[in-house]
Amino acid sequence: MDKLSVITSFLHAIVVYNVPLLYGTVGEIVVEKSGSLNLGVEGIMAVGAIFGYMMGCFANSLGVGIGVAFLAGVLCGLLFAFLTVSLQANQNITGLTLTTFGLGVYFFVGTSLKAVKWPVMGDYSNIMKGFAELPIPGLSKLPVIGSGLFSHNIMVYLGVAIAVVLWWYLNKTAPGLRLRAIGENPGAADSVGINVNRMKYLHICLGCGIMGIGGYYMALNMGGSFNSNCWINGYGWIAVALVIFANWSPALAILGTFVFGFFNTLKVSGSTLAAAFPGGLGWLADIPSQVFDALPFIITAVVLVVSSVQKKKNSGQPAFLGLNYFREER
Amino acid sequence: MGLHIVKRENCPLWKRCCFYLIAVLVALGIGSVILLAIGVNPVAYYTRMFTLGTIGNKIAYKTYINYLKDFVPLALTSLGLSLAFKMRFWNIGGEGQFIMGALAASAAAILLGNTLPSAAVLLLICVAAMAAAGLYGLLVAALKVKFGTNETLLTLMLNYVAVYLLNFLMGTKAGWNFYLNANELRPVPQKHPDSSLFPTIPMGGKFELNICVILVFVIGLLIYVYLKRTKQGYEINVVGDSIGTARYAGMKTNRIVLRTVFFSACLIGLAAAFKMGTVGTLSTSITADVGWTGIIVAWLAQLNTWVIFAVSALISMLHYGSTVAAATFKQVDSSFANMLQGFILFLVLAADFMIRFRIVRTRKEDRNG
Amino acid sequence: MSERYAIEMRGITKAFGSVVANSNVELNVKQGEILALLGENGSGKTTLMNMLSGIYKPDSGSILVDGREAVINSPEDAKKLGIGMVHQHFKLVDVFSAADNIWMGKERAGLVLKKDRYAQIREISRKFGFEIDPKKKVYNMSVSEKQTLEIIKVLYYGAKTIILDEPTAVLTVQEIQKLFAVLRKMKEEGHSIIIITHKLNEVMEISDRVAILRKGAYITTVETAQTNEQALTEWMVGRPIDLNIDRPVMETTRPLLEVRDLTIRSDEGSVAIDGVNFYIRGGEILGVAGIAGCGQKELCEAIAGLRPIEKGQMIHKGDNIVGLSPKKILEKGISMSFIPEDRLGMGLAPSLSITDNMILKNYADTKGPFVNRKLGRADAEQVIRELEVVTPSTETPVRRLSGGNVQKVLLGREIKAGPNVIVTAYPVRGLDINSSFTIYNILNQQKQAGVGILFVGEDMDVMMALCDKIMVLCHGKVMGVVHAHKTTKEELGLMMTGALDLSNKYEDKPAGIAKDSRFGEAEQGEEA
Repeated sequence: MDKLSVITSFLHAIVVYNVPLLYGTVGEIVVEKSGSLNLGVEGIMAVGAIFGYMMGCFANSLGVGIGVAFLAGVLCGLLFAFLTVSLQANQNITGLTLTTFGLGVYFFVGTSLKAVKWPVMGDYSNIMKGFAELPIPGLSKLPVIGSGLFSHNIMVYLGVAIAVVLWWYLNKTAPGLRLRAIGENPGAADSVGINVNRMKYLHICLGCGIMGIGGYYMALNMGGSFNSNCWINGYGWIAVALVIFANWSPALAILGTFVFGFFNTLKVSGSTLAAAFPGGLGWLADIPSQVFDALPFIITAVVLVVSSVQKKKNSGQPAFLGLNYFREER
Repeated sequence: MGLHIVKRENCPLWKRCCFYLIAVLVALGIGSVILLAIGVNPVAYYTRMFTLGTIGNKIAYKTYINYLKDFVPLALTSLGLSLAFKMRFWNIGGEGQFIMGALAASAAAILLGNTLPSAAVLLLICVAAMAAAGLYGLLVAALKVKFGTNETLLTLMLNYVAVYLLNFLMGTKAGWNFYLNANELRPVPQKHPDSSLFPTIPMGGKFELNICVILVFVIGLLIYVYLKRTKQGYEINVVGDSIGTARYAGMKTNRIVLRTVFFSACLIGLAAAFKMGTVGTLSTSITADVGWTGIIVAWLAQLNTWVIFAVSALISMLHYGSTVAAATFKQVDSSFANMLQGFILFLVLAADFMIRFRIVRTRKEDRNG
Repeated sequence: MSERYAIEMRGITKAFGSVVANSNVELNVKQGEILALLGENGSGKTTLMNMLSGIYKPDSGSILVDGREAVINSPEDAKKLGIGMVHQHFKLVDVFSAADNIWMGKERAGLVLKKDRYAQIREISRKFGFEIDPKKKVYNMSVSEKQTLEIIKVLYYGAKTIILDEPTAVLTVQEIQKLFAVLRKMKEEGHSIIIITHKLNEVMEISDRVAILRKGAYITTVETAQTNEQALTEWMVGRPIDLNIDRPVMETTRPLLEVRDLTIRSDEGSVAIDGVNFYIRGGEILGVAGIAGCGQKELCEAIAGLRPIEKGQMIHKGDNIVGLSPKKILEKGISMSFIPEDRLGMGLAPSLSITDNMILKNYADTKGPFVNRKLGRADAEQVIRELEVVTPSTETPVRRLSGGNVQKVLLGREIKAGPNVIVTAYPVRGLDINSSFTIYNILNQQKQAGVGILFVGEDMDVMMALCDKIMVLCHGKVMGVVHAHKTTKEELGLMMTGALDLSNKYEDKPAGIAKDSRFGEAEQGEEA
């Protein structure tokens, strides 16, 4: 096999298999910027995945799949917001329960569906067509990186677009400014007349909806084959880590997705690379895959510790993260 | 006119119990609706679930033994977590600490199992597991105390580091890897020697009570006494209530946090040792998610030592019972338990709101009242 | 027809649990006037204003804005009604710039944040008569800059009624004058201003009318021009100015605690206590007076070993206590009880029972690993009996007691430990008269027993009656130590604002250095 095409397919794999992570991360950034720490990403992605896949197939439409996955995520977000914002429940506990609950729903719905008739992705022409690659004219013709980075399915473009738009929204718009104010100091935001609860509800739901779409993308990547391993397979947790790595910035999340995705992909195609470049990269074949699995978490742990040692003022971490706001607190 | 929310000063015990009971019943009610929707009789299903399918079962004793194998690690893990939570230290690293404990316990069992008398092996298993888990927790506590590192996120990350370490050891054939059976070609975990299994006490019939079950209740009693009666327990209460006051009273708060988190993780390690000493083989699914479920149990029990036992018993029943019931009711996947657990917790959180807050009506007219 | 008011509050009642913060309060503000809302700490001024600004909701009563009944459910509603409040604890987002702090509450701000918002904010500020740097981050701002920003903020949102909660507490004399000039200008432009304060001189200087609250109840509203400080004080405290607090005369001993050249930094890193000298003898009460936030808290914490000191010395009975752990300092018999605004932050664990709070400092003294609650319970019973603490039982969590009883529990515990130096800050804050007198009696008994007491207070009349000497702090510096029975409120007031410096009144002996100092004994190793 041609060495350059190995690199090309390596790049391609990084993007295709890890942009779902970007959805999860960007969704969680929106939620966390409102001051809520939602540890339910894994569960929410799973719920989005199963309902998105099911309804997408029934309607034979990728658009319906995306829409339903988003709605399923929004419903999870609504539940989280109701419990933590309206009922002042502990965010850690609510999030963890949402993960257990979401995975429960995933397997329950999936198994029930399988008992009747499992929809096979390949049977649905519109979904297969919608999920096919769309090369970007011009850019995709570049040598090596062209078809590696610029020829992808629509979910990739959508994910990157969402990240860019949200970066712009958070940093360059007035509602974004208000949202950040809530995450930093809800009391201050409240006192200038920002409706804290409404903003939190809206953005928790929006963020969770985006996670739901990410889950649906995972389902598509897996070709819709349902077995005892959940489609999400820990990506929700990596997303939580990536939020920290990306310093709560959707733009950095794109870069972070590439870095984490790089390790993920090395795990799968490390041996291919080693075979193509026995001289330089031969050692890759000797590294156990679990090292690559653990690397995102190790790196994030290091980032967490280092940033706490530095105590920097410009950290993107919202000051009120994880705490509930009750106006009449004295 | 309008309604608004105010904090409640004090809610009597009976009222709290009522709220929680209603929450659990409503959750089971929602579960019934789902069961009905897929054509399953909820009464029959719940009966089977909550009796663990022991009615009319000739080998019911096995069910009880297996049920207790789930119950013991869960209860002990929750107890451990509750210590850290009491100090508002958000240790959600139970999963990772459990794995580290299990790895150490397994190493002790495999390497020493055939060389030492059983009692010594069991003791070493417990000590090794506690030390490994304890240090894994202590690392986070030290960083939290020294630099203010966010412990929620850090313990979360370390969970996965431990998970992949376990996966690596369970999946890599090598000369040095004593965790795997050397005689097999594929990676198959090494069975622990019999001397490393906890003894059981015959209870009449075929049911044998594993000594771990007794130990876990003894430990529960000790923790209760520790928290309520000892100086260290008192310190935990003060630090958890007001860290400023604790410093003011001359308590060495950093040391108390380090000590308590270490102790908390040690108990989780011990839970792992008990698990290893009853199942006798390591596997990638050794934790059975007790690190996660334990957090939920501890919270549901409001960190109360005895309530933790009750809630652990209930949650284990949900999980074990749903697996049993899944054999009879083919349409209902055992993941139904996870959903049900979710419903219960969501509703208990809602009930909690009713306990902590009151909704009052704003009066307008009676100015001169 | 009766006069139309900009704001009318009628029959407002608000309770937090069992504590009634406001009871049937009446308040009205005319357009274009400055109304002073006067009352002691804990009299419910801030609570009342928080209901006007939408932070709290009243349990009953009604609010009229421009003669029309208004429902204020949130700060958003208040803003729409033209009510703006500058809170005592500023409500600013630290990591935002000045402009963004204003912009975040702007209605119809559009979608996109444009760069020209900085210029707009600068221009508007100039129009109001302020000069600020719109790009400056709040965490880089001084206290008065933050206050200015808060004022610009409410003006920018078009507030017609502006509430300022203790705006002078954190300002220097010059800054206060500047603020007052701003307030007068706003008044001329037709704004109604409510200024919360407990300082009479400021009331007389700035206000048109004064509304007075006492212990949550409305007392009266008067024209400033037709009243005087004497009358205001009577309304405010509800008793003649002669407090009749005993001041037993004692034989004093050699200095128990001597502080030399002490410098301490605050949490933010600024100098909170700046080269301070003082000493406390046994059998005397040394008062510490000063505007809120002049280093009192830091001083208390440093003496108790809770805050590292920058430089200087603290000598207790000839022994250096700098660098000792809080535990070691306790063992030397130095007791510190500091009651911050929330009353339970330092000194008591609110969710724990009275018994458990009694043993807070001596639980470790018994042998063995177990806590001896029997002793704690006996202590609790004794304190409850002797200080007449109202509580259902010794096992009641402290948070369920009323303020006065909390103070009694705290002081009762401190005294039981038999200290030789007591440092107490604001021990009567928010207490009623009877409870306050109980506390004064306790302190006097301790004084008679030969204990040296450092009393950080805020009520000048109380301090002049209770203390033997008063040390005045201004921005972390000692302005002098005066004899309480010789000084006057005017003198103290001048010293507190930094206008009068008596620290070098006696050329031979700077204030705060004892003639019979025990300094130097530490080096010679005499006496323990």
